[in-house]
Amino acid sequence: MALLLPGVGWLVLFFVVPLAFIFIVSLGSRDVLDRVSLASPSLDNYFKAFDPVFLPTFLNSIRYAAITTVLSLAIGYPIAYWISRYGGRHKVLLIILVMLPFWTSYLIRTYSWMILLRDNGVVNSILQAVGLTHEPIILMNTDVSVILGMTYGFLPFAILPLFVSIDRLDANLVAAGRDLYASGRQAFRHVTLPLTMPGIIAAALLTFIPALGDFVTPDLLGGPQTTTIAKNIQELFLAGRDWPYGAALGFVLMIVTLGGTLLALRTLRREVIGAD
Amino acid sequence: MSDRHDGSTIDLEKALVRYMVERKLSRRELLERIAAVGSAAALAPIIAACSTAGATPSPAASASAAPPPSAAPTASPSPTPVPSPETELNILNWTDYLADEVIKSFEAKYKVKVTQSFFSTTDEMYAKLGDDGGDYDISFPISVDVPNMIAKGTIAKLDKSLLTNIKNLGTEWANPGYDLGNTYSVPYMWWTTGVGYDPARLGGEAPTSSKALWDKRWSQHISMLDDWQEVFGLTLIQLGHSANTDDAAELDEALALLKEQKPLVRTYSTDTIGTMTSGDIWIGHIWGADRFAIQETIPDFAYFIPEEGGVKGSDTVATFSGSPHPIAAQLFINHLLDAEQSAANTNLIYYMGPNAAAKEFIDPAILDDPTINPDQEIVDKLEELLALDQAVRDEYLSRWQELRG
Repeated sequence: MALLLPGVGWLVLFFVVPLAFIFIVSLGSRDVLDRVSLASPSLDNYFKAFDPVFLPTFLNSIRYAAITTVLSLAIGYPIAYWISRYGGRHKVLLIILVMLPFWTSYLIRTYSWMILLRDNGVVNSILQAVGLTHEPIILMNTDVSVILGMTYGFLPFAILPLFVSIDRLDANLVAAGRDLYASGRQAFRHVTLPLTMPGIIAAALLTFIPALGDFVTPDLLGGPQTTTIAKNIQELFLAGRDWPYGAALGFVLMIVTLGGTLLALRTLRREVIGAD
Repeated sequence: MSDRHDGSTIDLEKALVRYMVERKLSRRELLERIAAVGSAAALAPIIAACSTAGATPSPAASASAAPPPSAAPTASPSPTPVPSPETELNILNWTDYLADEVIKSFEAKYKVKVTQSFFSTTDEMYAKLGDDGGDYDISFPISVDVPNMIAKGTIAKLDKSLLTNIKNLGTEWANPGYDLGNTYSVPYMWWTTGVGYDPARLGGEAPTSSKALWDKRWSQHISMLDDWQEVFGLTLIQLGHSANTDDAAELDEALALLKEQKPLVRTYSTDTIGTMTSGDIWIGHIWGADRFAIQETIPDFAYFIPEEGGVKGSDTVATFSGSPHPIAAQLFINHLLDAEQSAANTNLIYYMGPNAAAKEFIDPAILDDPTINPDQEIVDKLEELLALDQAVRDEYLSRWQELRG
C-alpha cells in the first residue's frame, strides 16, 4: 500500500491541488485593483460563464477538436497497423521515428506550418512553379491551416495507443477468421476492429480532450473566424484581468468536456464492445 | 503467449524470468518493484529542484538599510551627491533599451556599479517586479500601468530635490494624465501606433488615412493589432471621438465599423513583423517601431500616422517601494533626464524622448523623420491611451469579445 504513495502523492500535488486552487479562485471576485478577492465567495461567475456570447467560440473549439480527432484516427490507424504488421524487427525504430517530432518544441512545429502555408510560402511557390495556379491561394489564417496544424500536432497522440492495441492483437484470431471463409475486409470488420476498439477509444480521447483546449495553434495559424473558447479564457485573464471569471469559464469547459467524454465512452462501450 | 515474436522480445522475457526465479519473486512482486523504482526516478528531479529553489535567498533580506523612499526622505542632501552614497544599482529593462554610454557615464560620475537584467514582455516585467520591485531599483513600466502600480503601492514617490534635470522635460510632459506632476515616475520614451504598408503591393498608392484599412481592394491582406485598446483607439479617433471614451453610444459606433471591417481582415496579430515580411499582409495596423525591423526585409516599407489623428504611447522610468538602492536610483533617473544622455538613448532606440533640451544632440536623420519626430501640430492630434476604470474597460472588452467571437 505504501508503494502507492509516490503515484497518489504526485496526482494530489500536481493535479488535485492546482485544480482546487482554480476552483477556489472561481468562487471569488475581482476587486477594484483587479486582484482576486475572496471576501464574498459565490457561484455568480458560473452563471455568468453560460453567457451566449461564448457559444460561437465554444462550437468552434468542438468543431476543430472533432475534425482533428477523426482525421488523426483515419491517418493514424493505417500507420499503426502497418508498423505493427509489417515492421518486423524495425517496429520500435519506426515508432520512435513517429514520436521524434515530439522532441521539437510544439511552437517551432507550428511556425514551420506558417512557412509552408503562407502566401509566398513553400506550398504556394510549388503550385505556381508547376503551373497549377497563377496567384497564391490563401491557406494561412483559415480553417484549413488550423486543422492541418492541429492534426499534425496530435497525430503522435493517436498513433501510440492505436499501435499498442493493434500490436497486442493475436494474429491467430485473424487467421482463424480467414479460415472460416471471411474475406480480408470482413476479417478486419469483425475481428480486428472490435478487438482494437479500446485502442481507438483511447486514441480518440487522447486527441479530442487536449485539442479542445488547444490555444496556440488556432491563435498562430488561424484568423478572425477561427477564435476558440481557449482564446476567450486567455483574454479574460490577461486583458480583462478577471481571474475568477476566467477560472469559472475554464472549469465549465472542463466539466462539459468530462461529461461529454464519459457519456461517449459509456455509449461506445455498450454499443460496440458489449454488443459483440 | 503466441509464437509470433521476434528475437528481441524472447531475450527480454528470458531475462525477466531468470531475474524472478533467482530472487524467488512472484509476478506481482516484480510489478511492485518496478512501480516503486519508476515513481522514485520520476519524482527525484522535482524534489531536487524544490530544495535548490528553497535555498535562494529572499530578495528583501539583501536590501540595504536605507529607508523606503515612499516616506518623505529625511536623509537626502540638497545638492546632487557625487559620488553616490550607495554603490550599486540594479536595472530591469528591455534588451537594447538603454545606451551603453549612458550607463558608463553614470558609473564613472557617481562611482556606482550598474547591473542590468532583462525581460521580453510587459507581463514578465511586472511578474519580476512583484509588489515592491523585488531586487530592482529601476525599471520601465508602461505609462498605462502606472496608476495601478501607484494604487498598489509598488512605485515609490520621487524626491524632486534629487531630480535637478526635470526642467528639461517638454511642456506637454509636465503633467501626464497617468501620473499628475510626475510625482512617481518620469517619462522615458514615446512612440506612435499607426498604419504600415508595402507600396509595391498597393500598386504605388500612398494612403494617408486609417480608412485605408477598410479598403475592400486589400481584402484578406489587412491586419489589425490583437490589442483591444489599440484597435478601438484607432477606430474611435477615425470616427472623431476620444480614444478613451466611456460613452456607450460611441463604443457601439466603433463596434459597428469594426464588424464591417472584419471580413476584410486576414488576422488580428501582434506579430506585425512576421505577417508583413511573409507577404500575407499588405497594409496593417502596426506600432511605429516595428517598421524598422520590417524595413530590413522590405526596404520600401512605409509607415504613416493617420491624418485623423493617432495613438501615442509612452513608458516611464521609476523606482519602487522595496528597492535596495533608492538614492542611486533617483540619481540615475536624473542622469537619464540630462539632455545628452536622453539624446544618446534616442539615437539608439529611434524613439523620441520627452526631453526638449535633448533635441540639439539627437541624430538629424531621426529629427527629420516625421513619423518619429512629427511636427507639433500632429503631436497635438495624438492621443495617449489611458488606464481605464474597471467598469469602462469591461464595456470595451465585452464589445471586443463580440467582435472576435
